[in-house]
Amino acid sequence: MPIPLYGFLEGDTVGLLILADEEETVQTLARKLQDAAHLRVARRDHAHLFYNGKAMDPALTIAQAAFEAFDRFDVISGWQR
Amino acid sequence: MLSREEWLPLARKLDWDYSYVREDEVFPQVISGHPWLPHSEWKDWEESFKTSYREYVDNQYEKDMAVKAVRDAVGRIENVQKLAAPWLNGLKVHAAALPLGEFTGVIGNLRGARFGRDSAWRTMATFGALDEYRHTQIPLLLFHELVKFDSQFDWAHKFYHTNNWFAVAARHFFDELTVGQNAIEFHIATNFVFETGFTNLQFVGLASLARESSDHMFERMVTSIQTDEARHAQIGHPVLATVMKHDPRYAQYLVDKWFWRNWRLFSILTGLSTDYLTALDQRPYSFKEFMEEWIIDQFLRTLDEFGLQKPWYWEILMDELDIYHHMIYASAYSYRATLWFNFVIPGPPERKWLRQKYPKHWDDMDAVWEQVSERWRTVGPGPENELAVHGTAMPAFCDLCQLPLSAGTPRKNTARVVAHQGRKYIFCSQPCQWIFLEEPERYANHKDVVKRVLSGEAPADLPDLLTEYFRLTPETWGKDVYHGSYEWLAARKTSAT
Repeated sequence: MPIPLYGFLEGDTVGLLILADEEETVQTLARKLQDAAHLRVARRDHAHLFYNGKAMDPALTIAQAAFEAFDRFDVISGWQR
Repeated sequence: MLSREEWLPLARKLDWDYSYVREDEVFPQVISGHPWLPHSEWKDWEESFKTSYREYVDNQYEKDMAVKAVRDAVGRIENVQKLAAPWLNGLKVHAAALPLGEFTGVIGNLRGARFGRDSAWRTMATFGALDEYRHTQIPLLLFHELVKFDSQFDWAHKFYHTNNWFAVAARHFFDELTVGQNAIEFHIATNFVFETGFTNLQFVGLASLARESSDHMFERMVTSIQTDEARHAQIGHPVLATVMKHDPRYAQYLVDKWFWRNWRLFSILTGLSTDYLTALDQRPYSFKEFMEEWIIDQFLRTLDEFGLQKPWYWEILMDELDIYHHMIYASAYSYRATLWFNFVIPGPPERKWLRQKYPKHWDDMDAVWEQVSERWRTVGPGPENELAVHGTAMPAFCDLCQLPLSAGTPRKNTARVVAHQGRKYIFCSQPCQWIFLEEPERYANHKDVVKRVLSGEAPADLPDLLTEYFRLTPETWGKDVYHGSYEWLAARKTSAT
């Protein structure tokens, strides 16, 4: 069952509804948001996904990262761990 | 026979004591509003116009004849065809939002005409209801003529009868402001905040833009409407003064709440026309400049007169003046097929002007327009490529204002998720969250468009959502006015190759 999430890409003008699969990784989710917003924001490398104020390990799955429906996540470029 | 000066005070100020029922049964708090006070506290309610019904009818007749003369002279299709295409599309926004929004004002005023607490208030609200009928009928009449010329003008009547996302937002606003509101909150929110505070944007700002754009029919129509607004807007002041005397905290709450809700609506209604859909050489000022001169300064003076404070979110509002409507416009451009009017991309001269007017965040907005332009450059201009330069993922909406989550800045969107009684809500901004949490029982059961899609109430497939739920067709859904064919973009392509 996909999990509906609110995604916010740095540089974009609007939040988007992104459906995440439990088994996909944080990195895939970040990419999914970048693809969804690509009309307005150029794709950038080294984008990091933030959830509940923390930078998430890109290799974690959505289930492991314990995302819940209708939560917010942010994708920010140029952030250094 | 009594003279006018002897008769009018008797007719418009006629109150009596009830002997068979209690006063609170005649004027129940639930529909007359808070605070409930005996009539002795309202008996000095006054306004300065003191119009008789005969005078009202004579005046309105003359004004209607003047509008009709202007329509006959400059409101024909051949006149409208001469207007610039971007302006025409701004006109479609107002054609849709104005007439039936005004009609909801009939309902609110009739509630005041029955449940207002003083007879002079009720008399004035009766005229207010008649005014709002006029403000429904005149634009419906004028814009109906234009349907033959452009079927998007059909949305003048159709808009509020659809589940288009912007119609959902506008209904959410007007249902609370006018249709389902008690008399006290209606007259403070509508007459004091909406009409005194904000309609200058429409009736002064847009009227001057219409004049600059040679749209004399629209200019005359809104100017005629303004003369009514100036009169019935006076109802709100004495209502607010009495509420302020007995419950100043509640008065402040109503003003704060409705100023924010109005800001959200008008920043879109007027902001897009002022800064994007009016030709550059016909823009006498920016939306921000107009807000500062006609809304902000005047509103602060009025608050001071009543002993009210600035709304707690004032700094947030001041920040939004620089960016909110820009984020909305860029977002709406990229989802233009979900709307009933067409858009333009700001070209280099427009972007230079926008940078001068909005230096704080324009770099971020410019990057967005560069990216959108680049997509057109890649796929090439033409109506067949419209959907190749269009968003595909679903935008998300605020659970209070029902508008896209486009607040804050492109670098830091201010949307926030809040759990309330086991359900999660998202708000575009702190003030929208605050309004919701002050009266959650009023808002909590409303579903935004995203949740309607997820629950199966609305189609998830974009073409079905547009046609079945938003009631658009390929002919009427929004497009780029020039289908991506801009000289400046073509020149850039040539130099790139």
